[in-house]
Amino acid sequence: MLSDIRVTPSPHISQALSTRRVMGDVIIGLMFPLAAAAYYFRWYALTLTGTCVISCMITEYLCNLLRRKPKPADSLGDLSAAVTGMILAFSVPPAFPLWAAVIGSAFAIAIGKMVFGGLGSNIFNPAMAGRAFLTASFGLLMTTWTIPATIDIKMSVIGSAEATDSVTMAEAGVVARTQATPLAHSKEAIKSKSGAKVLDEQIKAAFLGEVGGCLGETSALALLLGGAYLLIRKTITIHIPAAVLLGAFVFASIAWLINPDAYMSPVMHLVSGGLFICAFFIATDPVTAPLTKKGMWLFGIGVGTLTMLIRIIGEYPGGVMYSVLLMNALTPLIDRLCKLRPAGGIPDA
Amino acid sequence: MPVLMAKGKYKFSGGVHPPDYKGLTEAQAIKAGPAVKQVTIPLSQHIGAVCQPLVNKGDAVEAGQMVGKSEAFVSAPVHSPVKGKVKEVGLASHVVLGRCLSVIIETDESSGAAVPADFGADFDDSGFTGEQICNAVALAGIVGMGGAGFPTRIKIDPAPPKETLIINGCECEPFITCDYRLILEWTNKIVTGIRLARKAAGCKRVIFAIEDNKPRAIEAFRLNRQVESNDIEVVELKTRYPQGGERQLINSVLGKQVATGGIPPAIGVLVMNVATAAAVAEAVVQRRPLTHRVVTVTGQAIAEPANLYVAIGTSAGELIEFCGGLTQKGAKVVMGGPMTGVAIADLSTPITKTTGAITVLTKRQIGRAKLEQRQTPCIRCGRCIEACPEKLNPTKIAHAVMHNMMDVAKDYYISACIECGCCSYVCPANIELTGYIKTGKVLLARQQKKIPQ
Repeated sequence: MLSDIRVTPSPHISQALSTRRVMGDVIIGLMFPLAAAAYYFRWYALTLTGTCVISCMITEYLCNLLRRKPKPADSLGDLSAAVTGMILAFSVPPAFPLWAAVIGSAFAIAIGKMVFGGLGSNIFNPAMAGRAFLTASFGLLMTTWTIPATIDIKMSVIGSAEATDSVTMAEAGVVARTQATPLAHSKEAIKSKSGAKVLDEQIKAAFLGEVGGCLGETSALALLLGGAYLLIRKTITIHIPAAVLLGAFVFASIAWLINPDAYMSPVMHLVSGGLFICAFFIATDPVTAPLTKKGMWLFGIGVGTLTMLIRIIGEYPGGVMYSVLLMNALTPLIDRLCKLRPAGGIPDA
Repeated sequence: MPVLMAKGKYKFSGGVHPPDYKGLTEAQAIKAGPAVKQVTIPLSQHIGAVCQPLVNKGDAVEAGQMVGKSEAFVSAPVHSPVKGKVKEVGLASHVVLGRCLSVIIETDESSGAAVPADFGADFDDSGFTGEQICNAVALAGIVGMGGAGFPTRIKIDPAPPKETLIINGCECEPFITCDYRLILEWTNKIVTGIRLARKAAGCKRVIFAIEDNKPRAIEAFRLNRQVESNDIEVVELKTRYPQGGERQLINSVLGKQVATGGIPPAIGVLVMNVATAAAVAEAVVQRRPLTHRVVTVTGQAIAEPANLYVAIGTSAGELIEFCGGLTQKGAKVVMGGPMTGVAIADLSTPITKTTGAITVLTKRQIGRAKLEQRQTPCIRCGRCIEACPEKLNPTKIAHAVMHNMMDVAKDYYISACIECGCCSYVCPANIELTGYIKTGKVLLARQQKKIPQ
């Protein structure tokens, strides 16, 4: 009966938790914004997300083959490549062509993650690395925003007067209209000093997601629900989301108080662009964020503040991607800065 | 004088709450263990110097006779639990050391030692001076029976002065119920031991600390006549592993923190396990050396889990056999509980003064990932940091050890680790963090030439 006993170090029991389960929870959380995206941008949202997920997984498999891993398909089981694929899909415009999505996914996984040694070793958030690559390579495609399919074309929406244009989406077989995102609109307003008065309905639209923007980031409500799920499941802690939103809110409030005519209200800033997806799904990527609570606060506040800095002073309308990448680069430094103090204090010797 | 009760407080940070599986044995009264044909008495069952054997092959020994001792300050003598003949003095399996010089004694006793009865409630300690108590404890070879195995004689010394005596009845490890049964069945013996230890060490305040998942034991203790008349405070702590860790317990009970690398006496505290207190009582009052202890033989694979009063030196295999053997395939035999216990490969390994349990774990309890030792890369989720009761950075230390960067491990206070296992328990990547840290401590000690290669 005891011929097959094992000897390992203690402890001999563990919580039933695995990387796969952690990532699986993130995927479940991402289902909320995916549902919102499918509602606002119809079938193409699902096609685009599916394409990114599949290309990310295939890229990881190929990289594992190149690395001569004995079981190249094994690392796909941890689902981290699928998470990267989903987040990448969510941070490109809704009518983004599939071929470009494949290129972005390949870059995200191969250069963003695998060259560093795979899961756990990458410095930058792979999805953001992929998006940065796409922004640099396909600038126009990355800023062509489609109006959500739920909006009546005759209705007046933000910025729709200056930028309506028809783009045929052959894959989806529908004619879509494009519009400037609220943030692009506000950027114009800052430049022209024409004022950026935001109506309550616009805040409401941005909160629900009925605005132009990247596929998965338009609906702050869906992202909030997904984030709440992750918090309840203890997949993430409140520190990074709170710090990101707080940092952004404080910075935006200062700008708004100085000149409410030129700058958008802080509430509008919070619900627009990628701030919510960043706070709950991107900045919380454990691999590229600091380990300690104190470090998480610093990191989150850094992300939030930098995002606002880019939005208000910088050239880009949205700033999430670059601020996350910048703070990723600072993560090792933050970890070093926030070294833990043992419970019994630092020993003398 | 009313018994003070502090309900549901615990102050240490971190920790985990594993399923406790105590239901398997908590209703089992302590019963006599197996009659053994031979016992293996390791000459090292404690922290400190290894004993020198006092007997040779072929010598006849009496029950309770000292068979090994050391002149070193930090050490404790070992005794034979049985009457018999020395079969061998040589290397034998040892739970921690692997192999250890041991005295193997053959006996023809037909039954296991009967479980001794509890003391009466009318104990009078005026007949013993502090020095007498210390000497009796030293002679009986008593060591911390909760697991650490530090010689009790040194702990109860009046120097350095200790304000508070904390009696540890937490038993926070899953599965183990030996201390719980002792509190229920040997209440007077434990209180007698407490009074003797307090007298020897000169402590002013005595606090009995117990977790709130043991209401019957709390009740038994609280209602004990001696507890009230001797001004022993009962503190009920919230159940949380590792509440019974010495440093965590002091923090929970007194709100004081033992300095990193420091020891409890430095802040005037003496912590003693309930089993140790009972052993002190037997040693002083009955002049009995520490030759038997209560061991919980448990696990879902064991046919009849039990709390047994067994001779130290009995092999793990004999205890499992005595409890009806296994009903299903066991995957791991652990000496101690599943969080800090040592998995053994050799069932002839004897129990020592510090073995509280033999736990046989099934594949299901261990879990597939752990069973297959499947480790995935660290995703830096920080759960280990959250769980660490000493506020260390387990992943940083473990990875430093993995890459043989001992200076980094030292930089992150590897020596402050109490090896409670919380970090490995919560790790989603299933990395043996505690295992690496333990290895790192050995490597570090080697580097510093404290132990031979």
